[in-house]
Amino acid sequence: MSARPQNESHHPAPEAKRDAPRSIWRVIVSLVGQYRGVLALILVFVIGVILSPVNPETGHRVFLALRTQQNILFEYAEYGILAAGMTLVILTAGIDLSVGSVLGLSATLVAIFLIRFGWPAAVAIPLCLLAGAAIGSASGALVSRFRVQPFVATLVMMVAGRGAAKLVSGGVKVQPGLAGYARTTDPPLFDVMTRPLFGHFLEPITLLFLATILTLWVVARYTRFGRYLYAIGGNEEAARLSGIRVGQAKVATYAICGLCAALAGICNASRQTLGDPEAGFTYELDAIAAVVIGGTSLMGGQGGMLLTLLGTLILGYIGKFLSLMGAAEAHRLLAKGLIIVIAVLIQRRRE
Amino acid sequence: MKAFSVIASAALLAVVFVGCGARKPATGARGGAGRQWVIGMSQCNLGEPWRVQMNADIAAAAKPHPEIKVIYKDAQNQSTTQQAQVREFMDQGVNLIIISPKEAKPLTEPVRRAYQSGIPVIVLDRKVQGEDYACFIGADNTKIGRAAGQFLVKALNGRGNIVELQGLMTSTPGQERHKGFLEGIKGSNLKIIFSADCKWLEPDAQREMNSALARFPQATAIDAVYAHNDPSAHGAYIAAKLEGKGREKTIGFVGIDALPHEGVRYVREGILTATFQYPTGGKEGIETALRILKGEKAPKNITLGTRIFTKDNVAQGGAVIE
Repeated sequence: MSARPQNESHHPAPEAKRDAPRSIWRVIVSLVGQYRGVLALILVFVIGVILSPVNPETGHRVFLALRTQQNILFEYAEYGILAAGMTLVILTAGIDLSVGSVLGLSATLVAIFLIRFGWPAAVAIPLCLLAGAAIGSASGALVSRFRVQPFVATLVMMVAGRGAAKLVSGGVKVQPGLAGYARTTDPPLFDVMTRPLFGHFLEPITLLFLATILTLWVVARYTRFGRYLYAIGGNEEAARLSGIRVGQAKVATYAICGLCAALAGICNASRQTLGDPEAGFTYELDAIAAVVIGGTSLMGGQGGMLLTLLGTLILGYIGKFLSLMGAAEAHRLLAKGLIIVIAVLIQRRRE
Repeated sequence: MKAFSVIASAALLAVVFVGCGARKPATGARGGAGRQWVIGMSQCNLGEPWRVQMNADIAAAAKPHPEIKVIYKDAQNQSTTQQAQVREFMDQGVNLIIISPKEAKPLTEPVRRAYQSGIPVIVLDRKVQGEDYACFIGADNTKIGRAAGQFLVKALNGRGNIVELQGLMTSTPGQERHKGFLEGIKGSNLKIIFSADCKWLEPDAQREMNSALARFPQATAIDAVYAHNDPSAHGAYIAAKLEGKGREKTIGFVGIDALPHEGVRYVREGILTATFQYPTGGKEGIETALRILKGEKAPKNITLGTRIFTKDNVAQGGAVIE
């Protein structure tokens, strides 16, 4: 409507020159903000290299060794798998506190199926995954159908799940050779899961971690279901009004999270070579930390799977170089807390 | 908040440049004549006072030997963490590993792999399965359990109700102290009316003792508590005291460990009826490590002795058990 002249072509030259130094700085700051996840990962990696002990035989820094990098992926695979499922739940502005207990229950169940009953892995694994998905669905139903807050609903599942794990274990750690058990030797699955495929590298557990991240990344980014999750997290009422079946989507999300937890439990049993009903205790906190550090917002609607991978690796690098240094547990916990606080502060600046 | 991101970016760049400069290939700088041996020590947890004592014993034994350096790692009672620590020691190229495993099964394979890769492994207190280690050092837990059983048979005149507060039953000391105790009370009229796995932890023991006291509320229902370690025995004593019926005076409490500032003190103060010494083996661990590193032969098994402490002999430093 207005007859005002366009002023795009009007560039006052002296002003532009004055802006130049400030704008380069602004570019750097905005780059840091955009890629803060990757930069944080690089920073932590460099710190790890600096603080790394040196192998006296080879003269190389242990942190840089391919073996160490591989070990980090292997040792943090369970946290990573949990964090991947947790990301989907957090995208919907929910939370799942039960993943640690589901991990413990699944680890106990897979050991019972394989060792106590002597069933083959092809039967035991799907049953455990199903159990995880079932518990997740129950959480999802509590949240969507019965309007229970996710914190409360999954807290209930956390307690119940841990109780169930201790119940089915019969109070022992499920391992071969116990009275009345079918097997006196380890089931082949345990060795298969932990044996590197290529020389020293890439155990199936590591590959499962990477595959889970990749699969859920595709789901979150490229499927309609994924888009629904972002919509629900961004504005649930608007999503509902636009025709998205919010209740169904939520149940499915928590079910996937439970399934991931069950998968992590199978990995845990394979690593420990026994079914530990206390496995996964407090793992849910590390999973949430990995998601938050990566940059996914706890308010929902923002973030993604690759960010969670970054967050898991950051936690892994910090844990590993502190462990290589022989740092006291107190230092490790303080470092973890500090990283989370910094990550959250940087996030707040963005919003 | 813009200032924050400015500072953060500047700090990041500074660290990156400093990092690049500091990354020198590490040769030499071994400071001084002769090589220094590095010993990696993985402790399953430092929540048990007895294990804190074990690490202290190791440090005290290593101090007069500048030719060895000990790196301590605390596995926080997680088997998977302890597995990772053994892997790290292998990658760090330590000369010897001392490990006190959380439980036998998950640590058997990592210890075997380290041992077969040429790193001697000394196992303290809790065994791993098989024989793939250089030396195991521990006291005879079965004998201690048996001695505890025999002590209670004598103290209760052959008849009584026992509450057994067990240590982690997936660890060998727990299994052996239980088995030995059963052997010790065999043939008598001592009965175990309640038993629970307290995992060596005092809060767990207190909780389980509360359950026992609730299950058997009559004043004479429980004659004695046999706890697999002193913290558990102490937790049971506290539970009985808090019950308020005065049962902490009528029930006999027997524990194991006999650390001077803990179990022995409890006996002196009348809290425990008896405790059995379970030496940590820290000193013997370093002595054996030095022998192995110098190329001398070391035995496959070192069995440590034990003593009993009661009110009668605590002033004399207990009595040796043959």
